[in-house]
Amino acid sequence: MSHSTPPDNEPNSTSTLPEQPGVLVAKKHHLLVRWSHWLNVPILLGLILSGISIYWASPVYQHNPDPNTGNFDVAADIGIWICARVPGLHHYSSPPDWIYNHTSLGPGMLGVALRLHWLCAYLFMLNGMVYVAGLVMGGGWRSLLPRRTDLFEALRMLRYYLGIPFAKLGRRKWLHPRFNTKYNALQRAAYFSVPVAGFLSVATGWAIHKPMQLHWLAALFGGYNAARVWHFWLMWVFILFVVPHVILVFADGWDTLRSMIVGWSTKVERAEVIANEQ
Amino acid sequence: MNNEEKGDSLQPEDIPSTGIGPEQEMAELSEAGPEDANPSVPIAIENPEAVEAIEQQVDADRSPSLSVDHEPRTDEAASSVAVESVSVKKPQGFLGEQPLPAIELAPRVLRYRTRRDVLFFGAGAVAALAGAGFLLPQNTISRMGVRRNMNSLGKEWFLNKALRIDDDVAEALYSGNRRVPTYTKSQITPLKNNYNGATPDPGYISGWNLTLDGLASGLSISLGIRNLMTRFSVHEQITRLVCVEGWSAIAWWSGLRFDDLLRAYPPMSQAKWVRVESSVNLDASGNPDSYFVSLDLVTARHPQTLLATHFNGQPLTVDHGAPLRLLVPVKLGLKNVKAITKITYVAEEPRDYWAERGYSRYDGI
Repeated sequence: MSHSTPPDNEPNSTSTLPEQPGVLVAKKHHLLVRWSHWLNVPILLGLILSGISIYWASPVYQHNPDPNTGNFDVAADIGIWICARVPGLHHYSSPPDWIYNHTSLGPGMLGVALRLHWLCAYLFMLNGMVYVAGLVMGGGWRSLLPRRTDLFEALRMLRYYLGIPFAKLGRRKWLHPRFNTKYNALQRAAYFSVPVAGFLSVATGWAIHKPMQLHWLAALFGGYNAARVWHFWLMWVFILFVVPHVILVFADGWDTLRSMIVGWSTKVERAEVIANEQ
Repeated sequence: MNNEEKGDSLQPEDIPSTGIGPEQEMAELSEAGPEDANPSVPIAIENPEAVEAIEQQVDADRSPSLSVDHEPRTDEAASSVAVESVSVKKPQGFLGEQPLPAIELAPRVLRYRTRRDVLFFGAGAVAALAGAGFLLPQNTISRMGVRRNMNSLGKEWFLNKALRIDDDVAEALYSGNRRVPTYTKSQITPLKNNYNGATPDPGYISGWNLTLDGLASGLSISLGIRNLMTRFSVHEQITRLVCVEGWSAIAWWSGLRFDDLLRAYPPMSQAKWVRVESSVNLDASGNPDSYFVSLDLVTARHPQTLLATHFNGQPLTVDHGAPLRLLVPVKLGLKNVKAITKITYVAEEPRDYWAERGYSRYDGI
């Protein structure tokens, strides 16, 4: 189609429609939102990898030392369990380190892990501010706010997702629920929770980083030790978000992925529906 | 590169269907058909001529920075037109979701933008990978099968710079008047012997002396434990000791205030730092390995900074640094030197055992 564009010397004015059929596009994500979205990938990866290395130095989940091995770390137990049962791992050199060797910078590197963690943490906070600025400047924050109807709508979406395999098996038509909003209720819940989790991660991070100067902050989360537990589980919120997030983006198609890179979506009918229904 | 090709090849599909669903999308399209003709639909038509002119200019220039400069201009111009046409017709609440402004583009423009931004995205991904290769510790890189030595002075410099920023933030957060939380005796938790190397033989205790250096008097003073315990008033506190590793312990400490010692033996006027040292410290194989930390004088003067002689109501045991240890609850545990043998006041920031091993120097918590 691009080869049929009119030559430049042909007269054209703003009032006339383009000669070739145009594409309707909607601007979906502000530039700053897109940038901060992608920057989160290396930053969060750095935070998690270094974070698990820091966790190694003093695991949140531990038990009384094993009389035979002296091991007290639950993550090390899981590594031992995996190496004992997964074929091909029977000769793994250090089973207790298996988890740390595969999910972190590695065991025994607290100093360097802390330095990387602080670096990524400051970048994460800056990036979070860029993201919020993008949401405000682009007006995107309105699409993230929870609604009164969200619970019901979320159940509709859940029913849709759960029904997909049955519909496929029965070769039945299974229609995606229609929404006249940018996101459906499940998306909204997810996209609203992630910035909240980001904020809480930063808050709990400060609480355990400066438990004396910011002891009131640690107290908000139930004290220093409890804040460490919060911080640990908030990491899981990101992991549990990212897995379906990535799967669903690919399932949804190129337009959705492109809208986070280029900012434009060609799925415009939703925008029109909003304008026309109200 | 792969992405770019994918983007181009998928484009033709996007244009006719404007979506992915099969039957449903068709239904929506037929619905949307008449609406397209409705004049109230907020569609701003972007002049293809103008966009193409920019496009050509950018193409001719091939400069990435220039094309970035152009994007906001065209985007804002387009969206402002669209937002205007929407908001005039549909006044909404402040919190209400507003429709996405739609604009019409020549497919070529969309393709061009997509190609450009996906290329940018790819460049960013490569930069992120390079950055990770640059910043990751050598051990991690080796474990991933890369044999090359990726250690560089730049890496150390950069990471230390980031660490210094964090130290500066910590220093800015610090308030000399702010007390750390204190606890009740029922909240006391066990505190393990955390000598990093071997625990010293208690033989050193009988001949122990504390040496003070860098004093205003210019003298070097040596004090015995009995002298220290009887001359200064005893202060008690139940505070939390936080280790850099993440664990912590609430313990009941008593001893003299560092501030009282500073008053009795004032440091030289230009002193800003204290070097606190234990010469009885051992490494893991039991060889002497002097342990020394840097401490700013402001922190040393904090009312909760003690030279502790007692732990949980009993004189300190060897495990906990008999006969005198530093208890500075506003710092990480690694600054809480056990079995102090020498205190030196200095003008410049002194060396620090753990800072030389890649940890922070300020360690304020």
